[in-house]
Amino acid sequence: MTAVIPGRTLSGVCLPWVMLLLWSLPLSAQAQDLLPAPEQVQVFDTPNDAGQSLTLLWADSLRDGPGVRYQILIAPVADARATAPAVDPAAMEIVAEIPSDSHYVRDRSWPWWTHPAPPAFHRYVINSRSGLELMNDTPYVVTVAAVTGEIRTFGPAIQAVPEPNWVNWNQMNNLLLLLAFGAGVFGSIRTAKRREIFLRRIPGLDAVDEAIGRATELGKPILYLTGAGDMGEPSTIAAAVILGRVSKRVAMYETELIVPHRDPIVMVVCQEITKQSYLEAGKADIFKEDSNFFITTDQFSYTAAVDGIMLRRKPAANFFMGSYFAESLLLTETGASTGAIQIAGTDSDHQLPFFVTTCDYTLIGEELYAASAYLSREPVQVGTLRGQDLGKAVILGVLALGTGLATIGLILDAQWPALLLDLFRDYK
Amino acid sequence: MTFLRRQLPLVITFVAGVIFTLQYYVPHPKSEILLTEGSLWIQIIGLFALVLGVTSLFHIHAVKIKRQEPGWGYSLILYFGIVVTLAVGLFVQWVGGQHPGGKETIDGAMTAFGWIYTYTMVPLQGTMFAILAFFIASAAYRSFRARSKEAALLLTAAVIVMMGRVPLGEYLLPVTGDITLWILNVLNASVRRAILIGISLGAVALSIKIIFGLERAYLGGGKE
Amino acid sequence: MSFPEKMLRIDRRIIFFVIGLCTLLPLLYPVDLPIIVTPEVRMVYDYIESLPDGSVFLLSMDFDPASKPELEPQAIALLRHAFSRNLRVIAMTLWLPGTGLAEQTVNRVAQELGKVNGEDYVFLGYSPGVGALIIGMGQDLYKAFPSDYYGNPTKTLAVLKDVPNLRHVDYVVSLAAGTPGVETWYLFGKDKYQFELGGGCTGVIAPGLYPLLRSGQINGLIGGMRGAAEYELLIDQSGSAVAGMDAQSATHFAIIVLVILCNTFYFMTRRAAARGG
Repeated sequence: MTAVIPGRTLSGVCLPWVMLLLWSLPLSAQAQDLLPAPEQVQVFDTPNDAGQSLTLLWADSLRDGPGVRYQILIAPVADARATAPAVDPAAMEIVAEIPSDSHYVRDRSWPWWTHPAPPAFHRYVINSRSGLELMNDTPYVVTVAAVTGEIRTFGPAIQAVPEPNWVNWNQMNNLLLLLAFGAGVFGSIRTAKRREIFLRRIPGLDAVDEAIGRATELGKPILYLTGAGDMGEPSTIAAAVILGRVSKRVAMYETELIVPHRDPIVMVVCQEITKQSYLEAGKADIFKEDSNFFITTDQFSYTAAVDGIMLRRKPAANFFMGSYFAESLLLTETGASTGAIQIAGTDSDHQLPFFVTTCDYTLIGEELYAASAYLSREPVQVGTLRGQDLGKAVILGVLALGTGLATIGLILDAQWPALLLDLFRDYK
Repeated sequence: MTFLRRQLPLVITFVAGVIFTLQYYVPHPKSEILLTEGSLWIQIIGLFALVLGVTSLFHIHAVKIKRQEPGWGYSLILYFGIVVTLAVGLFVQWVGGQHPGGKETIDGAMTAFGWIYTYTMVPLQGTMFAILAFFIASAAYRSFRARSKEAALLLTAAVIVMMGRVPLGEYLLPVTGDITLWILNVLNASVRRAILIGISLGAVALSIKIIFGLERAYLGGGKE
Repeated sequence: MSFPEKMLRIDRRIIFFVIGLCTLLPLLYPVDLPIIVTPEVRMVYDYIESLPDGSVFLLSMDFDPASKPELEPQAIALLRHAFSRNLRVIAMTLWLPGTGLAEQTVNRVAQELGKVNGEDYVFLGYSPGVGALIIGMGQDLYKAFPSDYYGNPTKTLAVLKDVPNLRHVDYVVSLAAGTPGVETWYLFGKDKYQFELGGGCTGVIAPGLYPLLRSGQINGLIGGMRGAAEYELLIDQSGSAVAGMDAQSATHFAIIVLVILCNTFYFMTRRAAARGG
């Protein structure tokens, strides 16, 4: 009988197929001699997807090759309650006709924990598309036919129901690694609370005090930019966090701080952060609400305005933290022409060459995230940094081990290295 | 008050952070609807914040004009630009008596707003971007010096890539094209990946800290 | 101050003047140096060539007027190619300030090749949301863009017939001056809806996109004006990018000469200091 299981319909002896087989026996028997029907056919809802899709699997055949093709056929089930809807395969709609030496399971990479069938099996995914709309939670009958010349032999017609899935099991390795990394970070924070952890010097951050001191001596302001990103970007958050530390020292020295913004939400958040810093420094009376101000969201209009501020106000120190694009060099080169000390920190790797060339100090990539820990020395921050380093060590180890295992797997033509390698692959 | 300023934002951050992290692993259409709806909320909040931003902009420049600070004339130009562009975009009828509604063209004909866009914004922005070429040259002249072996290596690679990316370089020294591609595809790509791995780990660690309330500086500095 | 020291502190306006001349003169007196087509540009061209008539091609012009000199020639060349291959073209932008520019570009090329708006192509314009917009398009394009830039309901447009979402788009190319751009289309689009994705970008951010190319996340990359010039050659229609290549050659060489000069002066000052000290 036909097994109808929402989500996955297993192959089995299919009643309509048996009925049809009996009905068309003489012709079919002849055809079967010339061209065996597809075997071990499975039809099920495509797993790990948003629905409107069915997957068809069938075993490869000795007859696969030039001259033989496969037809994928589908028909909606009129009466969903019927356990064995009788459908004539010959009357079903042809979804696709493919060469018999194509569409294998091995064509796509699968993690071992969701591998659908042996690599040599054929696989065809029927997706909803123009002219063929697959509705979720609606049963369909699907089959595959082998075709050569005028002869067509059908596999069993199997009923299945497309439906959206709640979990993408292919990505579970990703979740596992995230949880492991999170656990590593929390473990490191615990360690950092118990004992002191060594932090290597970051010259760019050592220079923060020097820059603020110089500005104070010269009686000039300090310019701090939080980059082009919005509050959803980690680099902007890191820039805002560093602003908190910098503004506290600026408040202690009673130096003027200028923070022009490209994003109004970032402006509001930074206003709060600087206010808090001035409060903590005991200098709430000299805090200016409009030290943080909005210019425009437009890239080059903002750049022109900040360049203007640099040329008119001649800040003694310029901080460029956060993410940047083509405006980076326009900002830093103008800053360099005014003789300011310039400290940059960005995760925009494509802008690093410009910052390195024109700034006195540059925090490269993750150093931007490390800055907060370096400036505060709080166990939570330092512990997180250690967690990051552990993560990096694991990645380095996996790169070395993975290269070795992949090589061994190729040499020995063995599948077992995949047990480990799959854990670190990106699957969709 | 402390609850509204501290605990509530932390609870919202935790709940939203966990939900939107798990959303990545859920292929169900409802999960995507959640993401698009969340994005709509952010856009709406962003619009309210824009009012704050524009208010801040007007305030700063009004003060400058009032005090006649250095460069206050530019503040006047800013006011003029905003008012004229807004008025033209919203009210000026140009094509067949139609309101432009912020569109640059209607039925293929340029609107007054479109005129401002094409003849002020496009050339002005183009000019700003073009300055980059001049600044690259002056920055290279000032900073690209072979102070050490590493700097000399960087310099050599830069010269090869600069030659390999233009026809004259490939014409004079054809091998620079291939070397440039190798530098970009192998050396550059691998180093960038290494940097990206570090950045990604840093970003994930920061996100974990924010979701679990270990990093609170973004709420306005220190501890409660 | 010695001569080399003076030269090291040369007024940067002199450098600006040299670069200005190197840009202007080749534009006035072109040399037409031969341009070699790189594999990453050819990959985009080959993919469009391989698409059958009527395939759906989405061009996202994710740049503002500032990047016009580099990215508009790329857009023109791609549109000319797509229209000449009789592809159905969907054009849009993720950058609000780029809307007018994108609209002008699409209409100009479409008129040049006799294509009809709504039948052969559609300009969807700009809609906010970036990642959420792409996801929305992946779910229901007609809902994400209920009307095109001119207010015509997208459901009624012949060019969008049977294109209910991004899964029905055969090829997407994002021409990006930054973020949102190619990476955004990969993260929220290709990664989820499995269409083929190509990229184009300004020269400044091109090196940053090479890792995406090497990992197969994009199937080709048109980088800067050089990339645009290569594409113009591939479709055999030289335009502003090919014309600009002489100027780019001259400026690149001017910078190389400047770097050599500054190093010569630097070593002269160092030697003088060593001798003196």
